[in-house]
This record gives sequence, C-alpha cells and structure tokens, in this order.
Amino acid sequence: MDDKVLVKTSELYKEYGTAVVTRALDGVSLTLNEGEFSSIIGQSGSGKSTLLNMLGALDQPTRGNVVIDGLDLSSVDDDQVASFRNRTIGFIFQFHYLLTDFTALENVLIPTWIQSGVADLRQEKRAKELLEIVGLKDRMYNPANNLSGGQQQRVAIARALINDPKLVLADEPTGNLDSDSTEQVYELLRNINKESGTAFTIVTHDRHIAEKSDRVIEMKDGRIIDDYRTSEKSASELWQCLGPSNCKLLQAGFRLVPEGKDA
Amino acid sequence: MLMLFELKIALRFMRGGRSQTIFIASGIAIGVAVMIFLGLLITSLQASLVDQTIGNNAHITISAPQDLITRRLESPGQEGQLLLRGNDTNVIRSLDNWPQISRQLEEDLRITALSPSVQGTAFIRSGGKDRSVQIKGIDLQKADTIYEISGRLAEGVASLDGSNVLIGAELAKDLDLVAGDGLNVLLPSGESTRLLVSGIFDLESEAVNSTLVFMDLSRAQKLFNIGNGVSELEIQVTSPFDADLIAGEWAALIPDVRIQNWKDQNAQLLSALSSQGSSSYTIQFFVILSITFGISSVLAVSVVQKSREIGIMKAMGATKKSARRIFVYQGLILGVAGAASGILLGILLLYFFNRFAGSLTISYNFLQIAGIAVIAVAASTLASVIPARRSAELNPMEAIKNG
Repeated sequence: MDDKVLVKTSELYKEYGTAVVTRALDGVSLTLNEGEFSSIIGQSGSGKSTLLNMLGALDQPTRGNVVIDGLDLSSVDDDQVASFRNRTIGFIFQFHYLLTDFTALENVLIPTWIQSGVADLRQEKRAKELLEIVGLKDRMYNPANNLSGGQQQRVAIARALINDPKLVLADEPTGNLDSDSTEQVYELLRNINKESGTAFTIVTHDRHIAEKSDRVIEMKDGRIIDDYRTSEKSASELWQCLGPSNCKLLQAGFRLVPEGKDA
Repeated sequence: MLMLFELKIALRFMRGGRSQTIFIASGIAIGVAVMIFLGLLITSLQASLVDQTIGNNAHITISAPQDLITRRLESPGQEGQLLLRGNDTNVIRSLDNWPQISRQLEEDLRITALSPSVQGTAFIRSGGKDRSVQIKGIDLQKADTIYEISGRLAEGVASLDGSNVLIGAELAKDLDLVAGDGLNVLLPSGESTRLLVSGIFDLESEAVNSTLVFMDLSRAQKLFNIGNGVSELEIQVTSPFDADLIAGEWAALIPDVRIQNWKDQNAQLLSALSSQGSSSYTIQFFVILSITFGISSVLAVSVVQKSREIGIMKAMGATKKSARRIFVYQGLILGVAGAASGILLGILLLYFFNRFAGSLTISYNFLQIAGIAVIAVAASTLASVIPARRSAELNPMEAIKNG
C-alpha cells in the first residue's frame, strides 16, 4: 500500500452558537492516505461524526480547510461539491437509509442516476456484481423495505461503491446490527478495501472493528488525542487502548475514571 | 423507459404515497370539472341571452337625425299652409339618402345583413275591434336575413305583394283573423285602407306577435307619405360585440345620421352579463386557489416524510436543483393527472346536463376547456415551489441525523 495522500485537513474548527459557543472540532489536522482503512473512535460528543461530515463535504468548517483528492472544498460551489461527492465519496450510515420506494437494485443504481441525470440501466451489470459481492444476488429485485436490517446495510454498502469512490465514509455502519451481521459487514468492507484499494474511514464504537483497522484515530472534546497504526502495537496493548477508558491517560499513569462520568 | 432521474424519483414517491396522491389528484379533478362546468355554463348562458337579444334583431340601426315634423316645421313651407303638430302623431324620421348610404356600406365586409324599413303606428279595425299596431314596411327578402319571417310563418304564405300584409300570431288570435282575411287600417292622418292578411308569423316574442304588421316597403312609404325615404337601415354584423366600434367608425364616415348600436341600447343587459361573468371568474379563481393550497400542503408534508431520502440523495451527490425538481415534478404530474381527469369529469357533467336538464344547451368550448387545464397545471406547478424550495434547502446531515 502506497502512502499517497487522499485527504488532508488543516486546523479544522467547527463552532455552533453565537452567545454560547460550542466547539465541536477544535483544530483538527489530519492526513488520510489512499487505500487506508482507518477507524475514528471516541465517546459520544467527541466530534468524530462532525469530523466525518467534514470529510464527506456534508458540512462546512467554521475555520480551516479540507482538501480531498487535490480539491480544496472551500474553493468550489454547492453544485461542484455535490458532483464531487457523487464521484469521489461513498457514504454508509448507521441507519441504512435506503429509498423504500425502490428495489435493492434500483437503490444501488441511484448514485449513477444522479451522475448521469437519467434513470438509466447502463450500470446495471456493475450494480448486480456489487449486490453479488455483498451476497444479495437473489434479493436484488426485492423492495428495499422488504429486506432485513443487515441486508439493507449491505445494499447501502453496494450503493456506496457503485461510482467507484476513492473514499468511503461510514458512520457507525454496524451500530444497528446484531453481532453476526456486524461481522459479515466488517469482513465485507475489509475485503472490498483490499481488493479495490478504496479507502475506508469508519466512525465506530465497536472495538472489534477498530482493532482490525490499519489505523486508529481517537478523539476527545473535538481534538485528536491519539493516532496510531494497529500494526505498531501488540494485541494486548491494542485491546487495552481500545478499552472503554482512555488509552492516553492510562499510558500516562492515570487511574481509571469511573465509567460514564465523561459521557 | 428512459427518464430524468428526478422524474423517476418523483413518480416513485407518488406511487409510494398512493392514497395521498389519489386524494389530491381527485381534488384537482373535481376542481377542474367544476371550473369547466361553471365556466361553460356561464358562457353558454350568456351566448344564449345575447342571441335572444340580437339574434333576430338589428345590431346597428342608421336613422335620420331629426323627425319629419321638426323638419317640416323648419322648412320654408307653402304659403297659407297651417302646420299642426297634432296632425302628425306619427313621428317618422325619414332617411332620404339611404340608397347612397347602403351602397357605401355594401363594401364593408363585416355586414351580414342590411334591411331598410319604414315604421309607423296605425289602428287596425276588424270585427268591431280596434287595435293599435306598429306598421313596418320592409323588403321581405332583405328583412328575412335579420328576422327570418318567411321561415317562421304559423300559417299562410310569405308574400307582401299588392295589399298583402303579414301579422303576428297574437294579433291574429285577438282579432280572429286567419290567412286570407281582410282588415282595415286607420292611419293617424285619417286615411284608411283595406289590406289582406297573407300570412301569420310567430317571431317568439309576445310584444312583436301582438303589435307588428309587416307590409311592403313602397306601400308603407306611400301610406306614411315619406316619398322614397325610409325610417331606418337595420344592419347585422359578423361580430355583434364590436357593434359599438363599428358604429363609431361609421359615424365618422356618414354625416348627418343617427347611428345606434344594440350594446348602447342594452347597457343594462350587458352590465348584468358582465357581473355574471365576474362572479363566475371569482368562483373559478377561488377553486384554483384552494387547489393550489391543497397541493402545496400535501407536498409540504411529503417533503417532511421524505426528508431522510432527500438527505441521503444529497449525500450521494444530488444537487439542490435536483432536490427541488423532484417536488416540482410532483406538482406538475398532479396538475396534469388532475386536469386530464377533471376534463373527462367536466365533459361528463356537461353531457348529462345537456341530456337531461333541457332548456339550455351548453356548448363544448374546447379552447376554454384547454385554457382551464393550462391554468390548473400551472397552478399545481406553482404550488410545488415552496415545498420544493424546502427540499432544496434541506440539510442532508440534519435529515440523516434525525432518522
């Protein structure tokens, strides 16, 4: 895997409110490489979802900028950002959000329709291939709301991949699934990452996923407090780091804080 | 079938909310049907009223500016002649230069009928009864182009030769006259003459049928002693509603005549028609307004219902324009579907009205129907603008988070 830079953020700030300013991101500088499978972990409210939305150009930073695949997102207008998102980025959300009025196959095709402006079937073959990869070959003509949660999420994965994005952003992709489905979905993402070289950035609470990533980025209070490659740590070290309490504090000799206090 | 992706999404959204779609489309259809029925009913009613008023009447009449007596009084007169106004109760205005005027007007292609007439009052005596009547001297062939007398005879033949006259059905009944009977006419001048009833007409007007007597033009000229003059030229034109304009034009062309048109003479009727028209338009306007509000609120609800889907499509790269179009198309489709079924329903209503309601026949004015359809479609599309804008401005993150 080469280390070509795919995403670079510098000094990202995101603030809400005017009277009382809440800072969701507090100077985040981050570089993601092509083909990298990374996890962003952290407690609720640590800013990880906000960061993911910035990386997906769904939200604009208050200060700082995001450069993805050589494009500075602050330099282009809404329509250009939309078209960029369509070509370069795939999204997978915790709630699968398929369009319920369409079949599984049509849902996978929708990003191609958005790209061409026409509801055509030129990409049908590719969509079927992807549905086969995610194991839903025999369900592709099912209406979206006629699929189980795990199946819907796998359709959403196929949909995120249809335009061959360079980066797939996933926000708690398995947060809504049982453990078997979680395992399946993870294996699927990992395989696709290995085979196609698509970079994945996954916001997760699930340490099984984090553990198997190339890279783990940990956030707290809008800042990155830790950023390491899983290959650099031993299994036990890793398991401890991904534990419920804060890795950094433990390393620095702090005692465990009572659970839930910081939540 | 290949179609714009926004259109496809719009159609699926509508298919998904089937009952909502059917309800609102039916609402539009009923509104359009009411507009068509009401609009055409009023149009036909007005056309029928106007036709009754001017169909068999002159649209424009040209007469002399002064009556005969005034002219006689103002003329030098013969020495020793005593002029008593009472001698001439018959106030006849004579238009002496009518042949020139009618020749002049012949070139105007807007004229469909032109009939000279002499009018005056007289008494008819028959079987010991006296009746006051209006004598109208006409050229039967020319007068037929306006009054269709020959075609509306109840009995007898249409002839004004010699001493033949045509009288109205009411008058005939009143005086027990049948075709072939004779009657005495007493003129205001004191002269009296015997005439022959050749036919009895029914012009579908009580006043006309009970008082009018048609006589040959030259005979009337002689009876009323107006030489070769006539009382007036009665004229029909191709577009009766321009009668006032045409009359105005002629007034500038022909000097020293009085030109009257039916619009000025029926100002009250026209103003009634115009307020009838405005109330019909008012009702139609409010029907359209409620259709617009209905569609707008249904689509506004739909935007909320579909906010997650819109958000996800935006995350996948759908532009604001696309998000807007999805709802504009829905408005457009609702409008087209509603207008199409509304036209069918409206025509069905008209058919049943014409079939069973009797007296008035509503004519199918397809231009008017098309106009209503166009307005309905435009209003439906316009109704989608606000919901569509909301869809365009929807923040994908918010939409997805609130799932």
